[in-house]
Amino acid sequence: MLEIKGLRTVFPTSKGEVVAAKDVDLTMEPGQIIGLVGESGCGKSVTMLSILRLVPHPGRIVSGQVLFFGEDLVKKSPLEMRRIRGKEIAMIFQDPMTTLNPVFKVGEQIRESLRIHGIMSEQAGSWPWGARYRLQAERDKVIQLMEEVGIPSPQARYHEYPHQFSGGMQQRALIAIALACEPRLLLADEPTTALDVTIQAQILDLLRRINETHGTGIILVTHDLGVAAEFCEEIVVMYAGQIVERGPTDEVIQRPLHPYTRGLLRSIPRITREKRKLEPIPGVVPDLANLKYNCAFYDRCDAALPKCEHDELELRDVGGGRLVRCVLY
Amino acid sequence: MRGIKVLERILATIPIMVGIAVIIFIFIRAVPGDPVDLMMGEGGYVSEEEMEAMRKAFNLDKPVHVQLYLFLTQTLRGDLGESFLKQVPVTDLILDTLPATIELALGALVFAVLVGVPVGVISAVKQNSLVDRVSMAGSFVGISFPHFWLGIIGILIFSVTLQWLPTNGRLDSGLSIEHITGLYVIDSLLLGDLELFWNSFHHLILPSATLGAAVAAMIARVMRSSMLEILRQDYVMLARAKGLSEYRVIVRHALRNALIPTVTVVGLQTGVLLGGNMVVETVFGWPGVGRMVVQSIYARDYPVVQGAVMLYAFTFVIANLIVDILYTYLNPKIEL
Repeated sequence: MLEIKGLRTVFPTSKGEVVAAKDVDLTMEPGQIIGLVGESGCGKSVTMLSILRLVPHPGRIVSGQVLFFGEDLVKKSPLEMRRIRGKEIAMIFQDPMTTLNPVFKVGEQIRESLRIHGIMSEQAGSWPWGARYRLQAERDKVIQLMEEVGIPSPQARYHEYPHQFSGGMQQRALIAIALACEPRLLLADEPTTALDVTIQAQILDLLRRINETHGTGIILVTHDLGVAAEFCEEIVVMYAGQIVERGPTDEVIQRPLHPYTRGLLRSIPRITREKRKLEPIPGVVPDLANLKYNCAFYDRCDAALPKCEHDELELRDVGGGRLVRCVLY
Repeated sequence: MRGIKVLERILATIPIMVGIAVIIFIFIRAVPGDPVDLMMGEGGYVSEEEMEAMRKAFNLDKPVHVQLYLFLTQTLRGDLGESFLKQVPVTDLILDTLPATIELALGALVFAVLVGVPVGVISAVKQNSLVDRVSMAGSFVGISFPHFWLGIIGILIFSVTLQWLPTNGRLDSGLSIEHITGLYVIDSLLLGDLELFWNSFHHLILPSATLGAAVAAMIARVMRSSMLEILRQDYVMLARAKGLSEYRVIVRHALRNALIPTVTVVGLQTGVLLGGNMVVETVFGWPGVGRMVVQSIYARDYPVVQGAVMLYAFTFVIANLIVDILYTYLNPKIEL
């Protein structure tokens, strides 16, 4: 369904060009759930925004392809892109509190998605008699969507404003917006980060149910390897704009290959009786405008070899559906 | 609910108005110059007795606090007194001149919004482009130059050199119009007289633009900065991710949010419109309240100045109330 080939997105800065997504390759089948994991600023969000061609100015995609059902989204015209956004590929964002427009009723914001892509126009017939019927049909559909994502008493809440919703309810409303046109791919950019833990679980549950009932493919962006392990069939680990490891979830969790993935796993707290010392990865994420080594992880790596400094690195297939970008394999 | 709150707010203006009445009463008397002297000065020889009789007729012989008491009780009854100079009730004078002033102020406001909002939005969307730089430089001019200068330069360019627009008045001399609302542009349309409409509209353009220039500039600047901030918001990104056209993203989703701070500025700028109208009406010979006030100040015609300034104050208070009401429509988080 989705095939990203050599995607490179850059941001010009005063210190030089920052490559926020560096030759990203990714493939995804319909209905699959993929977890994109990494620290803040590793290029996860930029990769997602690149798929929709919504990278904020002055960032731009310089090379690569984003094939969606065989068609390259990078080459689409702005108009064609608009027909894909929200309809074929929808996105949900990190902070629900700031993502709904504060001056419009929640129900109307969901309805707008239906309206823009003419979802209810076909049954409704032509203007003027169709217009009224269409409005009613759209409203009914919105109520149905709100029910589906678990917003209680949707009839009343249709007319409420975002500030009258709690964070969890706002995220549900945003999922309803994303779901309105039955997209085939849902990009979820840290959908639970801003929410309480119990609400997090509910939202993830909801996303899984949507995946099962509608067959929507989901890319879940998260910095929480635990969430990804729980939720995804496949895990993709990003570091400094590059994919460093990719593989089936169980394999990656039980037998991490890349030293960065191993470090990430060691730094997750677990609930156990015994006290275990957390091992943070030493150092900080390198300055993307000023990468010194070929392997961006070189100066933080506990398994670094002298040749790491200069050797060419590529994402190598090591069998069993696993890929890794490291000289060790 | 909203209706009751609006009524409450209107009642709350009463103490404000009384305070303003007292202040203006004292200030106008603190200005040196005696109205009777000024009136009589031109009439050749006038006896002391006649002067005294006149002071008595105007109550100017009484102590100031008694005058104040008389003025306040009169005002509360809705009587603003009689003009010293013209011997006509101040209320009549104001009612005669008010429509011209309203027409000019509305013209200026329409000009300011029609120019300021689009300029601000375009500058923000095309940030740092040539359009942005030129319009921000232009807004600087609009804010910095005084009304009388803009007015005179406008007359020089558009009336004298290009001969597109008239230099003064509300209609060409010789024309007259039946008063319905008193706003000539509207009256002429109601009467269905297109020729009169064009004539009065032509007369309105230059004064409105002069009076509205500073407000337009202010709106453009506020609009630009609030728009720049709104365009970075997550909900603008969501609007794009929904598949909306850029036009719809900006006009529907961003503009409405960006208007919130702008509306406040427009409310506060009503003061500029009112203060400016004295100058602009004088420059363009516009027969409104502002020009009347200027003439009355020269003549120390206390009742007219008091009445007109109270009208200004009332307008300012009401304009701010309207802004607060508009606010609740624009921003659902805010109640009156």
